Amino acid sequence: MASDAAPIVEHLFRQQAGRLTARLTRVLGPSYITLAEDAVQEAMIRALRTWPFDGVPVNAAGWLYTVAHRIAIDAVRRDRSFGDKTDAIVAEITASGTVSATGETDVDDRLRDDELRMIFMCCHPEIARDASVALSLKTVGGFSIREIARAFLADEAAIAQRIVRAKRQIRERRLTLDLPTGRVLGERLDAVLDVLYFMFNEGYAAHQGEELIRRDLCMEAIRLGRLIADTTLATPKAHALVALMALLAARFPARVDEAGDLVLLDDQNRALWDEGLIALGFRHFDRSMNGDEVSAFHAQAAIAATQARALTPEMLDWALILEFYDQLAAIDPSPVVALNRAVAVAKARGAADGLAAVERLGRDPKLRHYHLLMAVRGQLLAELGRTAEAARSYEAALECEGVSEPERRFLRRRCEAVTTRGE
Amino acid sequence: MSLYMLLLYDDPKQWAKISPDEMQKAIEKYRAWRTKPFTKDSNRLGDDAGRVIRSANGKARIVDGPYSETKEVLGGYYTIEAPNYDEAVKLALGHPHLEYGGTIEVRQVWGT
Repeated sequence: MASDAAPIVEHLFRQQAGRLTARLTRVLGPSYITLAEDAVQEAMIRALRTWPFDGVPVNAAGWLYTVAHRIAIDAVRRDRSFGDKTDAIVAEITASGTVSATGETDVDDRLRDDELRMIFMCCHPEIARDASVALSLKTVGGFSIREIARAFLADEAAIAQRIVRAKRQIRERRLTLDLPTGRVLGERLDAVLDVLYFMFNEGYAAHQGEELIRRDLCMEAIRLGRLIADTTLATPKAHALVALMALLAARFPARVDEAGDLVLLDDQNRALWDEGLIALGFRHFDRSMNGDEVSAFHAQAAIAATQARALTPEMLDWALILEFYDQLAAIDPSPVVALNRAVAVAKARGAADGLAAVERLGRDPKLRHYHLLMAVRGQLLAELGRTAEAARSYEAALECEGVSEPERRFLRRRCEAVTTRGE
Repeated sequence: MSLYMLLLYDDPKQWAKISPDEMQKAIEKYRAWRTKPFTKDSNRLGDDAGRVIRSANGKARIVDGPYSETKEVLGGYYTIEAPNYDEAVKLALGHPHLEYGGTIEVRQVWGT
């Protein structure tokens, strides 16, 4: 039976790609990820070549499921490396591909379980993080190498290389899809959360790259985070991460104006924030409070939650935010956190105190060429009426490396504004 | 009004570079063509290689289709209605097949 009217569920292919690859990899074994991926891709190409003429099957996901299994069976039969195990594996794929009409929920649960195991394997601490991110996006997220490259502003060959490296590590270290238990589970879960956080940040950071695909990347990190947060594996830290990501992603619609320029938090139209994501964020934020652990994700989620609660920038409780930044800086003494804390100091106690904090940071030679530090410095100097110094600071920021085009435009505008005011 | 056939050729391998999300979008774009007001008929051809029958010296010889030798295969066709060739080509230019690197041959159905 085919339907002509309804559009295919949004991102169905992307999602099914991940789930089916996970399912087939579970049956075939982790060293055959590529075979699984190829079978899934082939099934999708078949859909692409037939559905435009035959119509979309009513159960599109089921169609892909069955066809991918059938293609995998053919591929296993052709692949000599299975040797005398061929028949056994074929029998297993056949069993996996045979879905009883009544067992729909079971299948769904099983696919979720496969996906979860796949994430844990892709994010194994023995795989380098950048390779983990690329592999997770490709195999679990159903992104193409070109899409990942576009989101990361990286070369396609480099991304492909990372994935090859990750797969090799899986083979050589004989990583499995088994879920660990006990203390090891905690460590492995932390590794997964780190990868998801990194994935999210890559999408969220205001670097260049296509906005749409980067937003998809963030939503994928949230989806995977929720996949974990909704199981018994979830820890308060996992909830804190989902809360943090959802609360930040809610700002996407307000973050860039029509000209594609960056809009700072204070100037964002809060009516544009995504209410569904904010609600999701708060739900997980509440659940992150179970237990005593205060992770960096907790502190960051608390900051994002405080920002989300303020209906106008004036209502923002900067003293509270500063407290959370103090907590965060104690857990994560990185320069980026310290710089954000300095901004909070300026907001809570005035520009002079903020500037003092920034200048302390600026003594670190590594940070002297950090454009965001120079930008914040310029902003605070301008607020203090020291316009000439402010302009110089903005100029210094523009001379730093790694300034994205939207950031560059933003800094130029600020620099011009302060120069005109100074004259 | 005359009838024109749009013969769609593509290299199945070209799709391997496209992501699942892009494939889904492509399907939606192609689908829209089935219900265009000027589309009279559309059919796909089997994905197998097919057979080619050639005759030489009065003897028919059956060979496997051109699947493996040539890159592009005829994957499907549409019959559309258009006042003339120029219009038929103009309509065909809007077909998503071209976005994805496919080839479209436009031929008038004789006598229509």
